[in-house]
Parts: sequence; C-alpha cells; structure tokens
Amino acid sequence: MYKNKLTLKILFFLISTDILETFTQYCFKRSAMPQSDVFISNFSDLLIFIKPIIGSGFLWMAFLSTLLAFVIWSSILSKIDLSVAVPIASSSYILVPLVSIFFLGEEMAWLDWAGISFILAGVIIVSSSTKKEKIIIP
Amino acid sequence: MSHYPTIFIILFLIILTSLFDTINQLFLKTSINSLNLNIRSIRDVFTFIFKLIRIPKVWMGFTFCVMSLFCWLFVLSKADLNYAFSADSMHYIFIALGSRIFLKEKVGFKRWVGTVFIIVGIIMITFSNY
Repeated sequence: MYKNKLTLKILFFLISTDILETFTQYCFKRSAMPQSDVFISNFSDLLIFIKPIIGSGFLWMAFLSTLLAFVIWSSILSKIDLSVAVPIASSSYILVPLVSIFFLGEEMAWLDWAGISFILAGVIIVSSSTKKEKIIIP
Repeated sequence: MSHYPTIFIILFLIILTSLFDTINQLFLKTSINSLNLNIRSIRDVFTFIFKLIRIPKVWMGFTFCVMSLFCWLFVLSKADLNYAFSADSMHYIFIALGSRIFLKEKVGFKRWVGTVFIIVGIIMITFSNY
C-alpha cells in the first residue's frame, strides 16, 4: 500500500513542524536584528558581527526549534509520502509573512503575496513529482 | 538609507546561502548513500551516526552548513524576513540542478515546471521590494 493516508495525528505533527519552522525563522531574525548597521569587509568585521548573535538567546532557541522540527519531520516521513507531507509543511511560506507583519512590523504589498502564491504553487508541484514509495505492511 | 545594500546584493547573498546549503545537502546525501541504511533499533541509529561522522565529506558538508548560517544571519540583519524567507525557496532550483548533475538523478518535466513557478515568484517579490 502507499503511504498516503493522512490521519489527524500526522496532520497535527505536520502543522507543528510548520509552526516550529516559522518560530525558528522569527528567532533567527530577532537574533540578527540588532546587527543591522554592521557591515562586513574583512574577517574581524565578521567576528564583530557574529559575536553578539552567538550570545543571543534567540539564536539558541532557533537551534533548539530546528532540532525538534527535524526529529518530528523524520518520524513523520516514515509514515507518509513526501508528496503529501511537503505541501502541508509548506504553509510556513504563509505563516512566516504573517509573523513578519504582526510581530516584526514588516509591510507587504500585493505583489509580495502574488509572488508567494507562485512560490507556493511551485513547491507543491515540485513535491508532487516525487515517486510514490511502495511499502509493505507486515 | 542610501548606504544600505540594495535588494540585489541581498538577493546575491540569499543565492549564496541557498548554494552553500545545497552543497551541504549533496555532500550529506552522497555520504549517506555510501552507507547501507538498515535501521531496526535505536542502537542502529547510533551506529549509523557514528559511521557518518567518520566520513570527511560529512565535515565538508558541515563547513558549508556553517557558512550558509552566517550568510543567512547577515541577510536577516539587513533584509525583511518575509522577503528573505520567500526568496530562499530558490534552494529548490539548486537541489534540482545539483541532483541532476552530481547525483545523476532523473528530474522530471513536472519538477522543472514547479521550478519555473518558484523562479517567477522570486522575481515578483524581488521587484516588489526593489
């Protein structure tokens, strides 16, 4: 049989990886934000840039959230096909802009949303082209 | 704001981030392919990881992973998150090209169509942020 039976439990875990991915990006952004006026032209600039970021709690929260998402994602993939998992997990392409607007005060034009729609469609088409993996249920 | 890097420098750095990440994935994939993946217990997982970290290619991949992270943090310190995150979807393009060229995987017509959609989307958001 094919691994394409989407249960409520799998759906819950898929959505949680989306939320974790979005949280990761939010944390990366917050850790890098204070360095917006640092420019890098040589190696010592790189250290000046990176030092406060490494000391930022946000960076470590991002790592932790990446690790957690990776563990959940790997265990989901043994239960469901990539062609089913990826489109659902791609909702971070909508979640990240929403978080950017509401929590980071970024502004978005209609052209941004149109572009994101194209990207999302592309990601779904790409993932639906993966081969269906046949598994044997013992 | 005039001394700020333009959107094209940002786009270039996002391309670099995606490229480094793809190189990391290719190193990791070829390393994993060289091991026989037969995991039945939690002990097998640790044996697998232990074998993996002794492959030099894995460490080369890790170096690119770190470079990709530095590049990404620099991008985020300058650019809007919504733009950077959406534009980072270009790693789908590099992965498609990389798997075809280096892993000799077949990339079907449908995948190229999806890739074109992603490229169009990235062009749209780039002009929107110009």
